Amino acid sequence: MLTDRHVPGGELRELEEQTPVGAIFLDALMHRQLALSLRVAAILVAVLGAQPLLAWLWPAYGAIRVFSIPLPWLVLGVASYPLMIAIGLYYVRHAETIDDEFSELLEP
Amino acid sequence: MTSPAALIGLLVMLVATVAVGVFARRFARTTSDFLVAARAVRPAANAAAISGEYLSAASFLGIAGLVMKFGYDVLWYPVGYAAGYLVLLVFIAGPLRRFGAYTIPDFAEGRFNSPGFRRLAVGLVIVVGLFYTLPQMKAAGITVASAAGVPYAAGVAVTAVVVVTIVVAGGMRGVTLVQAMQFAVKLFAITVPVFVLLLHFGTPGGLFAAVARHEAAAPPRPVVVHAAVGDEWQVTQAVSVHLDRPAAVRVLAGTGPQAVYVGAPQAPSPSGAGAAVTLGTDDTLPVGRVHWDQAADVRLAAGAPVPYGAQTPPSATSSWLAPFGPLAGGSGQPLLFTYSLLVAILCGTMGLPHILVRFYTNPDARAARRTAWLVLALVGLFYVWTPLYGVIGRLQAPELYTGNLTDSVVLLLPRQVGPRLVGDLLAAITAAGAFAAFAATLSGLLISLAGALGHDIYGRWLRPGAGGPARSRAFRASALMAGLAAALLGLLVENFDISVLVGWAFAIAASSFFPLLVLGIWWYGLTTAGATTGTAVGGIAATLAIVTTMLAAASPGLTAVLIRHPALAVVLAQPAIVTIPLAFAVMVGVSLARPGPPAGVAAKLVQLHIPDRLGLRRDYIPE
Repeated sequence: MLTDRHVPGGELRELEEQTPVGAIFLDALMHRQLALSLRVAAILVAVLGAQPLLAWLWPAYGAIRVFSIPLPWLVLGVASYPLMIAIGLYYVRHAETIDDEFSELLEP
Repeated sequence: MTSPAALIGLLVMLVATVAVGVFARRFARTTSDFLVAARAVRPAANAAAISGEYLSAASFLGIAGLVMKFGYDVLWYPVGYAAGYLVLLVFIAGPLRRFGAYTIPDFAEGRFNSPGFRRLAVGLVIVVGLFYTLPQMKAAGITVASAAGVPYAAGVAVTAVVVVTIVVAGGMRGVTLVQAMQFAVKLFAITVPVFVLLLHFGTPGGLFAAVARHEAAAPPRPVVVHAAVGDEWQVTQAVSVHLDRPAAVRVLAGTGPQAVYVGAPQAPSPSGAGAAVTLGTDDTLPVGRVHWDQAADVRLAAGAPVPYGAQTPPSATSSWLAPFGPLAGGSGQPLLFTYSLLVAILCGTMGLPHILVRFYTNPDARAARRTAWLVLALVGLFYVWTPLYGVIGRLQAPELYTGNLTDSVVLLLPRQVGPRLVGDLLAAITAAGAFAAFAATLSGLLISLAGALGHDIYGRWLRPGAGGPARSRAFRASALMAGLAAALLGLLVENFDISVLVGWAFAIAASSFFPLLVLGIWWYGLTTAGATTGTAVGGIAATLAIVTTMLAAASPGLTAVLIRHPALAVVLAQPAIVTIPLAFAVMVGVSLARPGPPAGVAAKLVQLHIPDRLGLRRDYIPE
């Protein structure tokens, strides 16, 4: 005899009705998404936050020139943007994957 | 200062904006239409409209001006403005779209079942919104003033009338169209002139090399600067000048107090102070603060180090080029200053009232995420270029330091390109871009403010039973009121830096709405009491800190205290690094002390997080 949970689409009803089983599914989803978000935010904070620290601990950083342009200007004012766009793309892909995997698990 | 070409650029942009707005009016029918364009906006157009709305006067004029004034440290502003979208993307874009509310007050009420909390959120939306209109008004004032040669106040008034008209006529659907168009205008208006300037003045490498050759900023050709009665110049090296007539001045020792870095205007020297001197027509400006008691046109020779206006801290090239220059370094606490600024901008973006409302025009969470990412890419494409204006400005137009006119560098620099016709054309283009910048952001802000006033205060408290037509009328009246308030406040901020004013709006938003949104979306345990107290404490603490800084401009005693305690001055001027953790701590602390999440929290989290394709989604607010 199949229990309700094994009926195709049953998990979906558990979620909708906020049963304890539904709560476990929701928890798992939120946990994966939040872990991804925090990981991406940590990368962003590390990439940006390291620059003032670098300039503080190693004052010579400010004096490096690349084709006469100070390196800190290139790193912060130019390189930051493609880097952030790449980080954003990484996030969008992975967040969609998590959503899709969750949906496939639950879809009838 | 008048430039017919720039004026024509302004007028063309004004006509185009009004035309598109009026065209769109036919589609604006119900309150829903006004507020979120009935959610029928496509993702690509939506991303362009969001970028168009987001790239404000601070982005178009302020960053270039602040880079020219302070150098490297200012790059944190544009990078932070872009990074704010990444933070918005990873923490709230998807879930908030699934929840399906219109505004932050909708979220506050919907998530916590608390009309009282909604009222608090509406109040904060109005505070943040008004703070954010200040820099737009300043930009409007200086743009119209420099193009048409009218007073600053007239520029503010004209802009307020135009923008209120657009908002009242078209509502948001009109604005979507207008703002998508305005993104294209802004990108064009910042990149085309910058390429011509680079062709004219040299490659970026050549420009930086030329800047680095002289430790003091000096004009490459003779310039004439007008000294008005009451102006105060900071002279770091004695410099020979030619005056059109003899003028009485007073000379005070030293340069102005460092308080300038916080963006508050400096208090004038006490009257009567300083040694009285009469400058002849060919004379030398002595080192110190030169206070003009009579007006004169002052001619500086090519290569002569420029004096700095009272609101502009003198900057040696080596510190201007390096991290921790006059901005962060001038604060006395460079690391604290840099991190606090960065945190405010990163976390403040999502709290701006006119930003989130646009995300609800996406059909689902997937589109909301992709839109946020696309916005990040679009604004990044824009921000790469703006600092170059500041670099070229230091090299080619350092006399703007003398007149405290660095905020106008994007408008004034193109006029130096020859031949005349090219310079005029470029000036027209940047003037049009500046108009697009403040008009787009102002209309978005007015819609949010009018939404808060009309939808909440009128539609919910004053006349809860009001029908559609009455609500539409209330929305229009609210837009008029908000525009009037913004214009009146705008008259007060002529002497504040655009980007600094923007930084304050971000700091208040970051300290109140950021913790609310993040914890509200990701934490079961947040109670209504915790969320309410934390939002209030963070928002009020940040507002008080900033108001204290603004008041310091008028209070020499307070300024003296702040100069003695640089860490305190930094925390008051850039409060986010203290007030964000404070708001989080209060929210978590109050929630843990008296646990008891609001009723139906599980259902709310299901709505926030379960993927759309499972078909559970219902808009929380059905309207």
